[in-house]
Amino acid sequence: MNKQLTTLFIFILSVSSSHQLLAQGNNSPYSILGIGDLEDNFYNRTSGLSNTGIAYRSGHYLINNNPASYSGLDNQFFAVEMGIRGSVVNYYGQSVTPGQNQSGDITFRRLALGMKLSKHWGSSIGLAPFSTQNYEFSNPYYIAGTVNEIATSLYQGHGGLNKVYWGNSYEFFHHLSLGVEASYIFGTLSQKENLQTPNGATLASTSRDINMSNLFMNYGLQYYGKLGKKWTFSLGGTFANQSDLFASSNITVLNSDSVALKSQELSQYYFRLPNSFGVGFSMTKDQKYTFLGDYKHQAWSDQKYAVDNSNYGLVNSDRYSIGFEISRNKTFYNTKVEKSYFQAGLYYATSYLQVYGKQIDDRGVTAGFGINSFKSPLSYSITLQYGIKGTQDNQLVQQRYANITFAISYRDLWYTKGKMFY
Amino acid sequence: MTRNNHLKRDRNFLLLSFLAIFFFVACQKQPVVSFGTSFVQNNNNAKIVVADTFGAELSTLYLDSINTAGTGTMLVGKYQDPDFGIISSRSFLQLAPPSTIPTISNFAAYDSAALIMRVKKGSYYGDTTLAQTFTVYRVTDLYQLPYQQFTFYNHSQFAVDNANPLGSQTVTIAPNASFTTQYAGDSVKIKLSDALGQDLYNKLYNRSDSVITPAKFEYFFRGLCIAPSPASNGVIYGFSDSVTLRVYYHEPGVFLTNKFIDFGINNPGQQFNNIVADRSTTDPIKKLILPTQKPQTPPLTPSSLTNGVTYIQPATGLSTKITFPSLRDLRLRPDYLSVLRATLTVRPVPGQYSTLYKLPPQLNLYLTDRNNLQSSPLQGQSGVLNGDLVIDYLYGINTAYTYDVTPYIQQQIALTTVNENGLIMSTPSAVSNTDFSRVLLADKTFPVTQRISLKIYYVSLYLTP
Repeated sequence: MNKQLTTLFIFILSVSSSHQLLAQGNNSPYSILGIGDLEDNFYNRTSGLSNTGIAYRSGHYLINNNPASYSGLDNQFFAVEMGIRGSVVNYYGQSVTPGQNQSGDITFRRLALGMKLSKHWGSSIGLAPFSTQNYEFSNPYYIAGTVNEIATSLYQGHGGLNKVYWGNSYEFFHHLSLGVEASYIFGTLSQKENLQTPNGATLASTSRDINMSNLFMNYGLQYYGKLGKKWTFSLGGTFANQSDLFASSNITVLNSDSVALKSQELSQYYFRLPNSFGVGFSMTKDQKYTFLGDYKHQAWSDQKYAVDNSNYGLVNSDRYSIGFEISRNKTFYNTKVEKSYFQAGLYYATSYLQVYGKQIDDRGVTAGFGINSFKSPLSYSITLQYGIKGTQDNQLVQQRYANITFAISYRDLWYTKGKMFY
Repeated sequence: MTRNNHLKRDRNFLLLSFLAIFFFVACQKQPVVSFGTSFVQNNNNAKIVVADTFGAELSTLYLDSINTAGTGTMLVGKYQDPDFGIISSRSFLQLAPPSTIPTISNFAAYDSAALIMRVKKGSYYGDTTLAQTFTVYRVTDLYQLPYQQFTFYNHSQFAVDNANPLGSQTVTIAPNASFTTQYAGDSVKIKLSDALGQDLYNKLYNRSDSVITPAKFEYFFRGLCIAPSPASNGVIYGFSDSVTLRVYYHEPGVFLTNKFIDFGINNPGQQFNNIVADRSTTDPIKKLILPTQKPQTPPLTPSSLTNGVTYIQPATGLSTKITFPSLRDLRLRPDYLSVLRATLTVRPVPGQYSTLYKLPPQLNLYLTDRNNLQSSPLQGQSGVLNGDLVIDYLYGINTAYTYDVTPYIQQQIALTTVNENGLIMSTPSAVSNTDFSRVLLADKTFPVTQRISLKIYYVSLYLTP
C-alpha cells in the first residue's frame, strides 16, 4: 500500500473514532421526542439519488439501502467506504430568535467494508448512525414556592443510536438475490437539565443517560434482469421486523460544584421499533441512464408508544423518492468501466412524529457527482442536498437545511491466494 | 502522464473536498430555538424548591455585664425609650498631671478652671433638639479595678461627691454639624468650681508632689464623673475621651498674658461608661428574665413572655437569639437532596423604629450554642455579614436585614447530633458598647410579612418508582 492510502486509513480511523467532527452538532428541536431524528440517508452511491436505491445494484459500491445488493459486487474485490457530511440549517418559526437562526456542523456518518466472499456471496460490515438527538433550549420559570423569583432551566440533549451491521446476500439463478442484515443498535441518549440563575450560573443539573441496545434484523431481496437489448431492470424490497430496544437509564443530579447529590439507576423499559418495509425499482438504459424509485413505510402508530402528554404522538411514516443517474463510461478491453457519474433526486417523507397535530414532513432535492479514479483505487463523490423539514404552523419550527456529503471509496483486489471462483 | 501526477490530482481533489465541507459550515453560531418546553414539564428532573415555613424561635438574651472601658467614647446623657425604658449613662475617667509644668512667676494669678469635652461627630442617640445639662462630679473612691476584676463594665461605678458638684453646663449640641450653643466649635466647656481651680493652681505654683508624681496625683485627684442632670431627658451624646481640665491664670508684665495648664486623661483604657437601663416601668420589657445567680450563662427570655417581640440593644445588654427547631425536618422530605441557598430576612417590628429611635445600621449574626455565649460572626463571601439594612420609612413593610446564610444552614442541616445551636443577632462588636441604636423583632405570632423568615432553596427530586 502506498503512502497516500496509509494516510487515508489513518484519517478514516481518526474520524470514525470521533463521531462528531465539531464539538456541537446542529440543533434539531424535534429530536427531544422519541429516540431522536431517525437517519434516512445512507451516505453512499445513492446519496445523490435522494437515497433511492432499494433496487440499486452495483459492482463497485456498497449499497446498504438493501442487503440483497451485496451479491452484485465485483468478484475478488473488496471496498471500504466512508461518508462525511457538512450541514447548515436555518430555523424558522415563532420560537426561533431572529438573527440567531443558523447552525452548522460536520459529522462522520458512515464507515463500511464489503467484499465478495465467493462467486455468489457478498458481504459487508459497517457502522452508521441510526438516530441522533441534539437539542438545546432554555426555559425561564418561577421557582416553586415563590411568586416572583425566576430561575432558568437549560435543556440539552445529545447522543444518538448507532448501528453496527453485517449484511450478507446470496445470488440465486442469476436473477434473484436475497439478503439479510443483522445489526446491533446501541447508543446513549444523554439528556440534561441545567438549573440556572437568570444570568446563567449553574445551580444544579440533572442528567439522564438512556442506554439503548438490541439486535435488529433487516431482510431484502432484489430481482433483476434484462428487458430487450438496451434496458436492464431491477426490483427490490426490504422488510424489518419489529424489534424492542432495551433501554436502561441512569439519573444523576449534580450540584454546582459537580458533586453528585444523587445517582441512581432507573427501572428499565423497552422502546419498540416497528415493522417496516420498502419497495423500489430501477431501470437502466445502455448502462448509462438509470431511473429509480423507492417507497418506504414504517408502522409506528401500531406501537402505542406511551405518550405522556397529548402534544405529540408517533404516527406511521412514509418516504417517497425518485432518482436519475447518468454514467460516463469508458471501454477497456471490451468491458465498459464507469469513469464518472452525475445524479439527481427528489424526496418527500413524513416522519414518525406528530407534534401539535402536525406530522413533521421532510422534502428536498439532491444532486451528486462522483469520479472513479482509474490510476488509483479511490473513488469520490460529492452530494449536495437541500431540504425543508417541518412547518411553521402551530408554533412549530421549520428547518431548511443544506447538506454537502463527501463519500470516499477505496477498492482493491482481495488477496485470494490465487484461488479462482470462476 | 505519470502515475505520480494522478496521485497528486487525487490528493488535491480530496483536499479540496474537505476544505469545501469545512468552508461550508465554518464559523456557524448556534441558533436560539426555544422549542420543546411542553415536552419537559413532567420530566421528573431535579427542581429548585423554596421552603420558607421554618418557624424561628426568638428569645431576648440578657447580658448583665458589658465591657465599657476604653471605648474612646464618653457616653453622657439620658433618654426615655417607649420600648426599652429609661436609659442613662455617665462617664468615669481619671486625669493625669501635666507632663511639664511651666514656671509660674510670683506675679501670676489664678483665673478659672474648666472641663473641656469634644463632641464625637455623629455619636448620639435620642432627640438632639433638647438642651442637656452636664454635671461634673469628683470621684471620692480610689480609681482602681475591684478585686479580681480586669476591666470596667456598664454597672461599674465609683462613689462621687454628689453634694458638691464641680460644675454644670446646659448646652444644645448639633452632633452631626459638630457645633454647640457655646459657639466654641465642637467643644463643650463646663466651668468648674474655683475652689478646685485655686487648689490645683496653688499646687502647680508650688510644684507640689501631688501634681508632679502621677501616683500621688491619682491619690489626690481620684477622678471625674460626667453625668447628665437627673432632670435631663431626651438624648445621650458621645464625647471623645480626650478630655481636658484646664486651669487658666495670667502673667502680668508689659503686656498681660493669659496662660493655662492642662490636665489630660490618664490611662484612656480605664475610662468607662456607667450605663443604666431602668426597665421597671416599661411594659413588656420589664418582664425580662434577669440572672439569679453568679456565675450564670446569660438568661433567655422567650418572646412569648414579652408580647411576641424580642429586643436588641447591645449597649444595655440585650440581644436576640434565633433558633430554627424545625430546620432539620427538611431532610425528612422525600424529595430533599441538598440546600442550594438560604437567606434569612429579619424585619423589625413596624412602627417601633423611627428617625429618633434608629435601627442599627449593621446587625451581625453570631454563632452560639446552648450556652448562649457569643462566638464569631457569620462570614459571607466578602467578609462579615452585616445585614445590608434597607429602611422603608414610607410603608415599613420593606424594612429588613437580609443575610445569605447558605454555608451555615448547609452545615447545621448536616449535623447529626442534637442541635441546640442558634444565632445571636447583635451589632458589630466595635460599636456594640457605644451605640444605643436598637431594634425589636417579631416572632411567629405576628403576621407573616413582619416575621423573621428563613428561605431555603433546595434541590428537589421526586423519583418515580
